[in-house]
Amino acid sequence: MLKLIDCQIDATGWEIKIPDIQLGKGELLVITGPSGIGKSTLLHWLLGNIPRHVNISGKILIDDIDVSQQAIERRHIGLLMQDVYLFPHLSVQDNICFALPKDTHFSSKKQRRIEAMRMLEQINLAHLGERYPQNLSGGERSRVGLVRALANKPKVMLLDEPFAALDPTNREQVGRWAFQQLAQQHIPSIMVTHDKNDIPESAKQLNLADFFHQKDQHQISLDRNNP
Amino acid sequence: MAATIRRIGLASGWLLVSLISLLPILGIVVGLWPPEQITFADIRPFLAYQGLSTSVFMTLFSAIFSTLISLYIAFMVYSQYHLSRRLQSFEKYLAPLLSLPHLAVALGLVFLFSNGSLFFVDSGLPRKGLSTLIIAIVIKEVPFFLLIFSAIGRQLPIKYWLLQGKALGYQDYRCWWFLVFPPLLKQSRLALLAATAYTLSVVDISFLVGPNIPELFAVSMYRWQTSFGIGDQALAFWANVLLLGLLVLSIVALYAHEKLLFIACKNWAVLGSTIRLGIINRLFVAWLPMTGVLTLLMVMVFALWSFGANWQTDGNLLASLHTRLWQDEWLFFSLPLQNSVLIGLVAGLLGVACALLALELQRRRGVYLPDYYWLLAILLPQLSMVLGWQVSHIWLEGSYHSAWIILSHLPFTFAYAYLVLKGPFQSIEPRYELLAASFGYSYWQCWYKVRFRLLLPAVLSAFAISFSVSVAQYIPTLMIGAGRVTTITTEAVAIGTGSQQDVMALYILLQSVLPFVAFLMAALLAQRFRGSVDVKAH
Amino acid sequence: MTSLLSKRLVSVLGVCFLLFFVATANAKQALKAVATVDENSAQWQQTLKAATGQSVYLYAWGGSKAVNEYLRWATREIAQQYRIKLIHVKVTDPSEPVSRLKAENGRTSAIDLMWVNGENFAYLKQQGFLLGNLWSDIPNAVFLAVDNLPITVDFGEPMHGFEVPWGIGQFNLIAEDGVYQQPQVNAKSLLEIAKNNPTTVTYPRPPEFHGTTFLKQFLVDLTDADPRLYQSATTQAQEELLPVLWQYLDQLHPYLWQQGKAFPSSAAEQLLLYQQKTLSMAVSFNPNQWLKEKSTQQISESSVRRYFTDGAITNSHNLAIPKSAPSPEAAKVVINFMLSEKAQKEKFTGVWGDPSVITSLFDEKATMPAHPELHSSWHVVIEDAWQQRYGG
Repeated sequence: MLKLIDCQIDATGWEIKIPDIQLGKGELLVITGPSGIGKSTLLHWLLGNIPRHVNISGKILIDDIDVSQQAIERRHIGLLMQDVYLFPHLSVQDNICFALPKDTHFSSKKQRRIEAMRMLEQINLAHLGERYPQNLSGGERSRVGLVRALANKPKVMLLDEPFAALDPTNREQVGRWAFQQLAQQHIPSIMVTHDKNDIPESAKQLNLADFFHQKDQHQISLDRNNP
Repeated sequence: MAATIRRIGLASGWLLVSLISLLPILGIVVGLWPPEQITFADIRPFLAYQGLSTSVFMTLFSAIFSTLISLYIAFMVYSQYHLSRRLQSFEKYLAPLLSLPHLAVALGLVFLFSNGSLFFVDSGLPRKGLSTLIIAIVIKEVPFFLLIFSAIGRQLPIKYWLLQGKALGYQDYRCWWFLVFPPLLKQSRLALLAATAYTLSVVDISFLVGPNIPELFAVSMYRWQTSFGIGDQALAFWANVLLLGLLVLSIVALYAHEKLLFIACKNWAVLGSTIRLGIINRLFVAWLPMTGVLTLLMVMVFALWSFGANWQTDGNLLASLHTRLWQDEWLFFSLPLQNSVLIGLVAGLLGVACALLALELQRRRGVYLPDYYWLLAILLPQLSMVLGWQVSHIWLEGSYHSAWIILSHLPFTFAYAYLVLKGPFQSIEPRYELLAASFGYSYWQCWYKVRFRLLLPAVLSAFAISFSVSVAQYIPTLMIGAGRVTTITTEAVAIGTGSQQDVMALYILLQSVLPFVAFLMAALLAQRFRGSVDVKAH
Repeated sequence: MTSLLSKRLVSVLGVCFLLFFVATANAKQALKAVATVDENSAQWQQTLKAATGQSVYLYAWGGSKAVNEYLRWATREIAQQYRIKLIHVKVTDPSEPVSRLKAENGRTSAIDLMWVNGENFAYLKQQGFLLGNLWSDIPNAVFLAVDNLPITVDFGEPMHGFEVPWGIGQFNLIAEDGVYQQPQVNAKSLLEIAKNNPTTVTYPRPPEFHGTTFLKQFLVDLTDADPRLYQSATTQAQEELLPVLWQYLDQLHPYLWQQGKAFPSSAAEQLLLYQQKTLSMAVSFNPNQWLKEKSTQQISESSVRRYFTDGAITNSHNLAIPKSAPSPEAAKVVINFMLSEKAQKEKFTGVWGDPSVITSLFDEKATMPAHPELHSSWHVVIEDAWQQRYGG
């Protein structure tokens, strides 16, 4: 379960006061809003990648543990980006092995490889196991990216416009499959997207524009008159 | 019509590029052509040369070891500076490190740290030994690799690999080693090869700080090649053959290293290894400042020497300084300095242009010729190769004009430019040009406006390196120019064989000024032009 | 009676006169051992005329500031006096001009004049790359002090007019007064000094020629100047004479700098080490280098010059003109100037301090007792054997 408390995005001239969020197992929150408002920045902040040009504050609680001060590698938050970024020097299978948690009962290379193949088989992508990322299609890449992220057994999943690079049919297919997986594994997820069609019916929505307000409006209009 | 022009253009492009890359082969064939009858019987005295096996082993070891150590150090330093906001374009800090000539670093090193040094405690660094040699070379090679990494790294989404890796629970340093190192290593192949080839055949540093019982192989080879006693030329011939063999061995060794490392990194990645190997990464934040301080010290020592600092007089050191030497020598080094600048600029520009041409022509073909072919100028033994050029130049009754000298530098500037540019060139996302074409730009406009602009920082680095390589060339300038064209390096090397510290120091400083300016300017200009992945994606 | 006496007197006087006349005539011939063209002759005037306005590229070692300064002075003088442009091409290795000549193989050379000696000269002469008759074509060659100095033979190879002596080299040590108290050294005293002052004594690694000459001095000392050293080295002579040297070196090396595991690569490097007070001695071929270095405060005030008891091995360094030089006449004029009293004086008294080769400036007191060079075959033998024994 994910709780976000007192979250606020502060920039020069404007700020967004985000209402407290609570996400249960398998729930999906979709963050929408005009471009440039800071959707992806917020997502990256949640991951632990502190932005430089805005100031975001707030408390992040995962299963009632405060992870706000922890480094990215300790938060157990997964990320799937638009460009997926599969590691080019590792095959698909190895990319997934890399993601398998370290403290599991498969400790030998062989066992890990078998586990990775099992995960690929579950989604009928086993034939891609030996291939390298350069030789995958967009849809395949997105799917592998999600499998990799899921293999890591994250506590929260972040999706940053993950299907934007896919064509509409693919997008629908992959999207449906992805949310199915997330729900099945009871992982609370937050997604950022532009496309309303990506949003499944069951998802909660949060439009950042609703909580946007300018600071010191008076100040700003004055500045406009005195360049 | 347009098609024919294009075809002619392509053909002449290939011709030009082939000529430049074939020059080294021409040189080595003519240069090694045995003047007297050299039979296999001559191998026996060659192999019987006292200390040959130790010498060869030491040479090979020092070459490969120093290259690999520099690689690892450079990588660890790079991992600390790559994403640091303050030092994002740390290339400008590399400029002083890259500019001091190799020999000056060796000289400064022994002066500051070996026994009998006047400033510092004897650190046990032998005046003449393999360790001193390796340290001197590593100090110079690390900034070179850093520059290469910088050029390659711009085109790779390192930031996102790290992010993903961290999101999957891996610590920062592990992400660097498992995820970033393998692709970076793959693209640095040429640089590694160039560094190894250099160390295998470097004579002046081996002479000054290398061990001499027995001597390093390059020194023995140089001795044989420049002596005209009976049988020495035959020894020189076999020595050249052996050097080529050593080169092949080095290539094999580097290739094996790369393969081993890939397998290791893969295994660790697959295992999700918690190996703590790379934890020392953090320590290397100190590397740049340390070597910066070291370089500064050396420059100060040389400056003091050139101002007449004399440790003989027990009186006040600072009081004995004077600028007389600089004033006296000004008349004599202004011309060589001008020559160096002119030749360096032209040879550097042509080298970079031809390297870009070679890369582009191969890209169109879709087939990339093996790297060793393009780097022949750096890999083949320089003395024999240039000797071949000298004989051809004399046979063609060429004059001693600077143009010939520029031609003799071109294979080297070309090779270094190629090795800096190849990685970034190949990593550029081709879709950018596709987009530009869809906007209506012609092929060459796309090429110039998009690809070239994206490559600009790498091109600037390549130019700085090529320029410095040209400035530092000694043997080609001397042998082709017949002493008619003096450059700052020919003067410096000649002075360096003497024992006058003040003049030597002055010329060392002069030698360093030109590359320093080049690197600094390249770094400053590169800052203004971002590569494709430097820009924040959001 | 008186007529008979006076007749006898006259004949005696006449014979005396004749004898005296013959004697002086012969004496003049002995002084004029170098037969050369006269300065005012038509041949020389023609050479001078052809030389005006030409450039002369002199290939000479560029590592010594003193030599470079001297050559800059000479350039100014020659430009003024003869309107010839002398250009000093700084050479790092004396073999560079040799390989260039070899590569040129007879075509018009880039070299007009070169500084040469030893085995390089022998090679060039044998290959026929050099212009001959220099002694007879250059007027000032008449002043060469052939009677006082062994300057007609270079390392065992007679010059035969293919090169002209320019200066003299005498092997000496530049050393700390406190350590090397005796004015002369020999093998035994050096061993003592090395034992008492370990790691401060050494020599340049052979085949660097200072190093080889050092070994030659030892050999001369240890074999009491065995006459076989001045003849071609036979296998028997090598077997009998060399072991003495090796025995000595085996004793000496452990007390040397770096315990004999490393040596300075050149005399210049050794001098640098001496300047930095790592070593107590350096080697040189220039008898006046110690004075000049001291006067410019390059070396300590307490430095002195020492030489071997048997005498300092002496040789000459010379100038030669390639056969295919583009401006041979101008080169000859330059050599003529270099042999002139003015130039030789400046060379000796100026920053360089290189002793003169002409009679008028020959100063017995300034030079050290000389010892002739060994036969050239010994040079190669010593180098190879040292490499075999200690070089690996």
